[in-house]
Amino acid sequence: MGSLISISVLAIIVLYLGLYRVNKALLPVTVIGLVVAAGFAVAQWNTVARPIYSGMMLFDHYAIAFSVICILSTILIILLSKNYFERISAHVAEYYAIILFSLAGIIVMVSYHNLTMLFIGIEIMSVSLYILAGIKKRDFGSNEAALKYFLMGAFSTGFLLFGIALIYGTTGSFDLEVIRDYILSNPRDISFLFYTGILLMIVGLCFKVGAAPFHFWTPDVYEGSPTLITAYMATVVKTAGFAAFLRLFAVCFAPLSDFWTPSLLIITIITLFIGNITALYQHNFKRMLAFSSISHVGYMLFAIVAIGAASANAVFIYATAYSIASIIAFGVLMLVQQQTGNSSFDNFNGLGKSNPFLAFVLTISMLSLAGIPLTAGFIGKFFMFSRALSQYQIWLTVLAVINAIIAIFYYFRVIIAMYFNQEERTAISIPGNVSFVLGIAALITLIIGIYPGFIAHII
Amino acid sequence: MSLFYFVAFLSVFFSLLVIFSKNPVHSVLYLILTFFTFTIHYFLLNAQFLGIVNFIVYMGAILVLFLYTLMLMNLNQETEPVKSNLLKVIGVIAGGCLLVTLIASLKVSGNSEMVILKDPNLGLVKNLGKVLFNQFLLPFEVSSILLFSAMVGAVLLAKKES
Repeated sequence: MGSLISISVLAIIVLYLGLYRVNKALLPVTVIGLVVAAGFAVAQWNTVARPIYSGMMLFDHYAIAFSVICILSTILIILLSKNYFERISAHVAEYYAIILFSLAGIIVMVSYHNLTMLFIGIEIMSVSLYILAGIKKRDFGSNEAALKYFLMGAFSTGFLLFGIALIYGTTGSFDLEVIRDYILSNPRDISFLFYTGILLMIVGLCFKVGAAPFHFWTPDVYEGSPTLITAYMATVVKTAGFAAFLRLFAVCFAPLSDFWTPSLLIITIITLFIGNITALYQHNFKRMLAFSSISHVGYMLFAIVAIGAASANAVFIYATAYSIASIIAFGVLMLVQQQTGNSSFDNFNGLGKSNPFLAFVLTISMLSLAGIPLTAGFIGKFFMFSRALSQYQIWLTVLAVINAIIAIFYYFRVIIAMYFNQEERTAISIPGNVSFVLGIAALITLIIGIYPGFIAHII
Repeated sequence: MSLFYFVAFLSVFFSLLVIFSKNPVHSVLYLILTFFTFTIHYFLLNAQFLGIVNFIVYMGAILVLFLYTLMLMNLNQETEPVKSNLLKVIGVIAGGCLLVTLIASLKVSGNSEMVILKDPNLGLVKNLGKVLFNQFLLPFEVSSILLFSAMVGAVLLAKKES
């Protein structure tokens, strides 16, 4: 609760700083505030978690771990933002405030214990993101991204809400434990409306995380939004979406897994293939990252398809590895975009000679996303595949390995462009904050990859 | 009971008119009528507060806004993009699948028992307020973040760049 309150208050403080035009203080105040919020979350680790406010929220280890990883990723992304918003517009404080509001929504999403809180959390996050996607007012792509995201998001929220309403109608409660007890106490005659409710909630949540039949908004929104916001959407938002998805299914619907596993299994396989195969044909790095994010959703869905006690940990590790690696990729992309103006693969030619540091961290990031050993991505994939194998989903694992091999092609394309395609180019000057973020993120990727023990059993 | 059936018939009738009328302005007008029948349903269920909110917010504010937006937009037949037949067929199939699922689950769940409310005054403002400020206090308060964020965003998007 402390972290939620401190993030909300921080957003209002940031708005006041903007009112009094202390733009220099915005970044440090935001970062310090977020560190305090993370501290509040960690301080609750050893307390006994009970649902608070008549069962509305539950800050258990799961919620704390995901809150902390979301806050830390946000800190890294906000550190990248120095001088970024100033180029877009003069109202910088509002941008920070809206990012913080969406983070408050994310804290609600990962720690809900009641479906009303889930809905409000998702809405706070989504409404803030619709705005953030469109902050480049003069840019046509940004306008398109915001409008598309808003229309599709509002539509999918309808499905989610309909699902919640049907589940409430059959069980008479929004509380996760009451719903679970309803399933456990009458396993024979569960109302069919309840099943329809589960399906509708799968549709709504799959849309929010961008899984395959509901992924059509992802490439355009990710490409059109400002790169920093895309980085936020692809990492923090995706992690939170999965945390909410998994919490609902692990706590509530796990006893009915025979019913929903087949549909989720099909969604997973379609997601993997569509994401990876479409990513192969992209010539634009940003668009490639959008499709690769779809394919990573497929891997993360493994944990829900093969639901069990270890699923939470598997999603946590995978989401951490994926977020950290994506932050590097988007950070480098921002620098390259500033120099060359667009984000096609050709702009990475010769980067290995002119900027060895950038090329090196981007290589680590690509290796991690592809799942090469000694990087965090490998550990994430290892946990996911072992989850699937523990439930005897052998074919799913085989298909996933095929997809991992396809993915290596397009991730290596960037590495080849950087090191083997010769092109004379001037070195990009790297601001101190960016090189700090990139260095830290690359270091975390390697540490998790080499010594996963300290994160492997955290939840 | 006969009143219920009459109002339910009107709801279905007007919502069909919403879909089938060619003129978008007429569509919205029928939608207002549909929402008005919903308001009557709420009153029949003794949910006065919900009925009044539906009347003021949905019929009054949102749909009138809708109407103005539609009138301001240029919705002539020439500017309307023509949808291909294939798209129409796909749309019908997709919507029909959802409809079949919903109807099937309604049929299977069978005739439910008549619900007798323990407290017939459940829908009154007083009782709603009690639930809202006791059990659902946290969601009620947290939704202020949602409104605030939307407000800041609306101002941000609408403000002129200096």
